[in-house]
Amino acid sequence: MPEDSKNSPAGLEQELSARFERVIPEAVNSDRRLVWRGRNLTVDCLVQIGTVPFLLRIEEGSIRECRKGLPLLCSWVFAVRGSAQAWAALWQDPPPPGWHDIFALTKRGEMALEGNLHPLMANLQYFKDVVALPRKGGSR
Amino acid sequence: MNKKDMEPIIGRYVKVRIMGDDCRVYFEETGQGIPLVCLHTAGADSRQFRHLMCDETVTNKFRVIAFDLPWHGKSYPPAGWEKREYRLTTELYVATIRAFCAALGLEHPVALGCSIGGRIILQLAHAHGSEFRALIGIESADFQQPWYDTNWLHRGDVHGGEVCAALISGLIAPQSPDEHRHETLWQYMQGGPGVFRGDLYFYRVDADLRGKLDGINTAACPLYLLTGEYDFSCQPEDTLRTANTIPGVKVMIMKELGHFPMSENPAQFRKYIIPVLEEIRRKG
Repeated sequence: MPEDSKNSPAGLEQELSARFERVIPEAVNSDRRLVWRGRNLTVDCLVQIGTVPFLLRIEEGSIRECRKGLPLLCSWVFAVRGSAQAWAALWQDPPPPGWHDIFALTKRGEMALEGNLHPLMANLQYFKDVVALPRKGGSR
Repeated sequence: MNKKDMEPIIGRYVKVRIMGDDCRVYFEETGQGIPLVCLHTAGADSRQFRHLMCDETVTNKFRVIAFDLPWHGKSYPPAGWEKREYRLTTELYVATIRAFCAALGLEHPVALGCSIGGRIILQLAHAHGSEFRALIGIESADFQQPWYDTNWLHRGDVHGGEVCAALISGLIAPQSPDEHRHETLWQYMQGGPGVFRGDLYFYRVDADLRGKLDGINTAACPLYLLTGEYDFSCQPEDTLRTANTIPGVKVMIMKELGHFPMSENPAQFRKYIIPVLEEIRRKG
């Protein structure tokens, strides 16, 4: 179990959300190679950290907007929702075994992939690298 | 030519008849001594063993041989492949390994297999143990829970190589060096269309070996199971559960390794595999 889980759930979510916002979108948009790898992806998607949703508007690999909370009647194409413990573990450096990849987390029931997964699967390594950026040391 | 820049690995082709098909099988070998036949993971090829094949601690005592399954690497599919869907089965996989060993005239080899290769090692131990000196299953279990829909691996609107590599990238331990991580991913980017998926037919559908591994004689044919702690496909608990059903099996969970130990972090893997090979050699 990740060490951050000792914190209160709300406190942990706040800390993780702040960490996400510190990195996204700047760390994506300043990485020309990463943006190039995502050049075929234009999509609105949801990343949820515990109970905190973020709407990511991705345009040709750049993150045009990372918005905390969803606007009314907002649509998204796919969602990646994880427990706070899941994100906390994924962003440890190194992450603990079995908590180190979004599919490791979906397998253990700590994360869910929802909606139309085609844009996600067609750009899977790009997306995995984006959501791993808050890990110290950045994307693998 | 600078001799020290030349690797000792030699590649050749051999014609092997496998369940009615004439197959031209590519293999690489190096070293001398006890034959050690290496079986690659699903959707990949024999290049995964290049580090083991250049390790003199191994090749001074073992003749290391790694072949590409038909449809993989430099082994073409059999003639008429375009008219069929590739699906690896337990029967076909066992027949392929036995036919290859027979074609090379290997006497009582050691076999080492990873992932699907690890699964078939269990079947070999169960049904053909007397043909082998020892068997080594890497990332090996009688069954493991699926973690994605394999239809994503072969469809017209998703690049097969990229999605195969992206899916399995998480099976590599975070500690593995970048160079070896990306070389391992490159293998998955190069597989033929539907080949990884066809291998997983064996893994997921055809070869659920739970409750079917009775009669393994580890006194006659020692069996070793080694699994990386970061493998969430064949999880350590899958290997340990399997080992609990096989008297005399030796099992190890390997630190800072994932699903591709020999390829993703050869320096870390050799800490575990060298003592196993040394024990096999000492037993003669």
